[in-house]
Amino acid sequence: MNLLDIRNLSIELISNGKNIIAVDKVSLSMKEGEVRGLVGESGSGKSLLAQAIVAVLDDKWHVHADRFHWRGIDLLRLSMPERKAILSRDIAMIFQEPMACLDPTTTVGEQLAEAIDSSQLSGFFWQKQQQRRKAVIKLLHKVGIKDHSVCIKSYPHQLTEALCQRVMIAIALARRPILLIADEPTAAMENTNQGQIFRLLSSLNQLKNMAILLISHDLENITHWTNTITVMYSGQFVEAGTTEQIFSKAMHPYTQALVDSSPMANQHLPAKSRLMTLPGSIPILQHLPIGCRLGPRCPRAQQDCVKAPSVSNFHGHKVSCHFPLLLSPKAKKSKLQKAKSQKLSKVSND
Amino acid sequence: MTELLKVQALTKSYQQKGYWLNRKRITVLDSVSFTIEAHKTLAIIGETGSGKSTLARLLVGAEPASSGNIYLNGQELKSGSYKHRCQHIRMIFQDSGTTLNPSLTIQELLDEPLKLNTPFNEKKRTELIRMTLQKVGLLGDHMNFYPHMFSGGQKQRISLARAIILQPQVVILDEALASLDPSLRSQMINLLLDLQQQMGLAYILISHNLGIIRHFSDEIMVLSQGKVIECGNTQEIMTKPQHKTTQKLMLNQSFQLRVKNRYKS
Repeated sequence: MNLLDIRNLSIELISNGKNIIAVDKVSLSMKEGEVRGLVGESGSGKSLLAQAIVAVLDDKWHVHADRFHWRGIDLLRLSMPERKAILSRDIAMIFQEPMACLDPTTTVGEQLAEAIDSSQLSGFFWQKQQQRRKAVIKLLHKVGIKDHSVCIKSYPHQLTEALCQRVMIAIALARRPILLIADEPTAAMENTNQGQIFRLLSSLNQLKNMAILLISHDLENITHWTNTITVMYSGQFVEAGTTEQIFSKAMHPYTQALVDSSPMANQHLPAKSRLMTLPGSIPILQHLPIGCRLGPRCPRAQQDCVKAPSVSNFHGHKVSCHFPLLLSPKAKKSKLQKAKSQKLSKVSND
Repeated sequence: MTELLKVQALTKSYQQKGYWLNRKRITVLDSVSFTIEAHKTLAIIGETGSGKSTLARLLVGAEPASSGNIYLNGQELKSGSYKHRCQHIRMIFQDSGTTLNPSLTIQELLDEPLKLNTPFNEKKRTELIRMTLQKVGLLGDHMNFYPHMFSGGQKQRISLARAIILQPQVVILDEALASLDPSLRSQMINLLLDLQQQMGLAYILISHNLGIIRHFSDEIMVLSQGKVIECGNTQEIMTKPQHKTTQKLMLNQSFQLRVKNRYKS
């Protein structure tokens, strides 16, 4: 059974009369114990999507979806308090920039103690203080901080960024979530620390069977750690499939461009040669192109691209493009004919 | 080929505040020496606190060095001589969004270094600004815009325009590519490579991303705790790192490569 099943989720920004669709009909599903990467450049709405899942967006954002199921429960039918009760029990999120997200005025130990649910503690009221402290220490050990006594007493600014990130993960783990959403857990971190954080997350995934949604702007950084990847561009769904499929058999021109533009994936290129790029820059929210939002930058764009493409499924490899790559000419022809016949039948029906 | 920039035994140390007896000196850079030629790129890698950014600041003259010499074309740069230095050594910072003054138009921004360093009149300066903007892939008319009207990638191009407008010989990129999105980053790399060929620039690239370093640089210098632990040709160091710290740096990157190797085979 799918852990999380989202179909056609849209997020709209209501601003004086004119609505902007920041996320346009994105589908996302997660299985138990899966590590899924969510990749998109800035402004692709990946963080918005994550915030919509944990329902922390404020009133100016309108979220609606065709289906929003969490372990078979339809969350859209529940009232907000009920929904939040379920979400806070099962889902935890690590936010971007750990330094900025921790409270600078209280010690790390207090913040951790706050996150521990009192229902986890058994015993009389005079024992609870002691138990809470033990639980805090245990959590710190779990995320690989050995020197707990120093860490508990210090304020966030006294710790390094990697340690702060570990503390954030510890806070997220306090309620033993089933799904962990990690929003750019290693942004602006150097390689050694990046590796440590990713290794910690993957060991949690393996030991606790915890599903992880790993959000990143860079495809090359996360391919080693994920089972499946979803790619987004400018608020639209682009492609989803296993890491292997996305990386070696990309069907969408955008994914292909992402893979081609990474110098790490193209080691065979001679040094100092030109890299493949897409022309232009990412559209801003106020001036989104109609139809497929990649249209103006896409090397394969044709007239049909002014209409938003529907998602087609090739053996679990979902792609949202009118002209996907790797289709043999025959298949393309048959697709065109199909479309034509559909149009004809529509006309005759009218 | 003669060397363009030569750095000899550059050292930087700070005096820690404290009482008279337990005052400590912290050495951030410990006698670093290297040379760069025109058309070449030197990459500097190292962990945080290894002194990479301090080295960049010393080279542009934002801070005086404790000891050591910097020679540009055989001529020594002293810590007071900013006039000469700022024309030939320029720097691009990590976050282009915060390093451009939001209250000035692009023309005013780019005019500043020209006013201070060149004898050109206004007409000549405007023409030069227009040409430089076109060189970095923007339009000449963009000079009446304010920085907030540009996207992140375009802002980084404006920082680049500000760096190259004085026809420098050395450009220092302090994590200048880290904050860009992948598709814009490869555009920027292409642009930097083109400019290097056209103008004969030497780059000093400070970066974490070994993929970019492998693609972009000719030589690598590895810093650890202010000391140079390894220095040499990019290909050689990437394939056969000698020092333990370098090996550790390379190992962490190799995690991200395994899928790609499978793809190749």
